[in-house]
Amino acid sequence: MPDIIDGSENVSVHGIFNWILLLVIFSIITVIGNYLGYKHPMTDSLVGMAILSIITLVGVWMERELPLNVSSILYISIIGIVLAFPGMPTSEFVLYYVSQIELLSIVTVFLAYVGIGMGKSWDEFKALGWRAIVITVLVIAATYYGAAIVAHIVLVLTGVPAV
Amino acid sequence: MEWIFIPNKDGPVEHIYREKTDKRILKKNPWRDYRLHVTVLILVVIAELIGTIKIPLTKDVAITIMPLIYTIILGLVFYLAKPITWIQRKQARIAEGAMMLFIGVLIAKLAVSSGQSISLIFEMGPALILQELGHLATILVLPIALLLGFKKESIGMTNSIGREPNVAVVVDKYGFNSPESRGVFAIFIIGTVIGTIFISFLVTFSLSFLPLHPYAFAMASGVGSASMNAAAIGPTLAAFPGLETQIEAFAGFSNLLSFCVGIYIVIFVAIPLTEKMYNWLEPKIGRESITNKKGDDE
Repeated sequence: MPDIIDGSENVSVHGIFNWILLLVIFSIITVIGNYLGYKHPMTDSLVGMAILSIITLVGVWMERELPLNVSSILYISIIGIVLAFPGMPTSEFVLYYVSQIELLSIVTVFLAYVGIGMGKSWDEFKALGWRAIVITVLVIAATYYGAAIVAHIVLVLTGVPAV
Repeated sequence: MEWIFIPNKDGPVEHIYREKTDKRILKKNPWRDYRLHVTVLILVVIAELIGTIKIPLTKDVAITIMPLIYTIILGLVFYLAKPITWIQRKQARIAEGAMMLFIGVLIAKLAVSSGQSISLIFEMGPALILQELGHLATILVLPIALLLGFKKESIGMTNSIGREPNVAVVVDKYGFNSPESRGVFAIFIIGTVIGTIFISFLVTFSLSFLPLHPYAFAMASGVGSASMNAAAIGPTLAAFPGLETQIEAFAGFSNLLSFCVGIYIVIFVAIPLTEKMYNWLEPKIGRESITNKKGDDE
């Protein structure tokens, strides 16, 4: 059985301290990767990562503290969109520094943690058999192509020029 | 945390991911496990130094292998390799908990791109919303599951892409020990291990072979899993230089829609439709059950 149901622990100052330290570690690794891969200046990228980390922290905190039953993903998205909204006083500052961080730099670090984390599912994975693997691969392909083809048809029908 | 919410407010599965994250990263002082983070840093440095490799197949078709592929595979290899004793199950649990926090940074970056291009997103609203219905294409896999000998498991397997929110919906509806739940667990585990790598290659190939609109590729990468979304955006960004902001905006917004709207499409459309298909097709093409004798999907 996959390991998805587990106990819980309440938010505490201690917890927020852990989040901040983890985000600092993640930021440093990302900035180094961002420098090696794309040669963006480290100080500017550090400010960019600080902005993204603060947005994350506020979103995660709101998820746990506000009575609404809503995921932090929604809070983080809304904060990010509002801060970068054209015409907002913050938008120029946020856009400049966040653009110093390539999305792929974040993804590369993120997926390193994903890779280590998914090792845990390896034994269960091996036990599953080829039939289930075939179905999984087909399901992922179907989701992707289903969305891509519908999007393409609607884009063509609504007359969006090919870029 | 890959999550909006489940309609059953007091259900046993509500917020299981948040709680899992909290337990892992609040109790265990994850920053203290410096060897894990130093290992990640080394993986990232190796990956960025190798850089993107392009393997041309024909004149127009090339496979692009990006640093993000190296870090997933190296991460998995480091976990599995016996000589590396400092990356064990405990570190994997910490990595998994930490990863759920780091999804936030990824989402924040995508959100900033979305905010920058907000008027474009409204312009492309119809395509963005309707492509969510394209995810129903997974139901087309149901007949193949039946032909391979799955029974009710196939309902759990093919109603959606089987990530965390979908697992919760299926468990909530059919119960933890039902065949439908076994099916969705199987997809969840296999998707966890090969999903990111598979989708990255799938996208690379599709970009070469399918003449679709760049925005359509961007929107399709929002499949409702942050790691698969991340792996799918990589090759798409590389294929359309100069469109980075738009692609990030559409990919991020579409993934957000998959979280908020997608779950309702699964509950109200996909699951009933999968059940109807099953009841119609199972008597026609159903095979002898493989699960009783082999436990192939457990």
